[in-house]
Amino acid sequence: MKILVFGQLTDIFGDSFVRMRDIPDTDTMVKRLEENYPALKKMKYLIAIDKEIVRENTLLSESCEISLLPPFSGG
Amino acid sequence: MKHTLKNIFQHGAIPASFVGDSIAKHSSKTGIGAHSIFLGQVRADDVDGKKVTAIEYTAYEDMALKKMHEIREEIFARYPITCMHVHHSLGKVQTGEICLFVFTSSPHRKAATEACNELVERIKEELPVWGKELFTDEGYRWKINH
Repeated sequence: MKILVFGQLTDIFGDSFVRMRDIPDTDTMVKRLEENYPALKKMKYLIAIDKEIVRENTLLSESCEISLLPPFSGG
Repeated sequence: MKHTLKNIFQHGAIPASFVGDSIAKHSSKTGIGAHSIFLGQVRADDVDGKKVTAIEYTAYEDMALKKMHEIREEIFARYPITCMHVHHSLGKVQTGEICLFVFTSSPHRKAATEACNELVERIKEELPVWGKELFTDEGYRWKINH
């Protein structure tokens, strides 16, 4: 599964995406990401699935477009 | 049928001539009585003695265009405006250059100004766009919107 990351999160992941296997839902994803990238725990971000922000634990499938969005700072 | 969303992004700064041309294009729309324009300019902030020289913008473009489409529909539904144009820079924009151009037009001034203000606020709050403030010494800081 490919997770897109943006803004200051690219500093933590060192890239614009991170790959993970076998993640059933967003809570598991966050837990596993935080294990591998402890700096993520201190970051503020939202999770979007297929370009929509999700605020509760959400089931994931291989076809989902997952992204981690730190606070927006456009304009 | 695949629906193509209107693009708002352009690479680099928005030239002043582009703004002028956009205004000129509306001269044939004689039902318009008022234009409201917001221009965002990159500010040379001083951060702990380091000066911002440019902002480098990145975006989750697909999501930003989808969100912008929703915002556009809502603004058109709420205000009696004739047209609405939004242009946002991606990539590097130097201090003093324009990075955001929001342009609304209506028969009477109130709708144009209110729609323009709301658009600017929502663009800053809701579009997945990020600014990286670049310093003279090659360091950087991620921009925070207030």
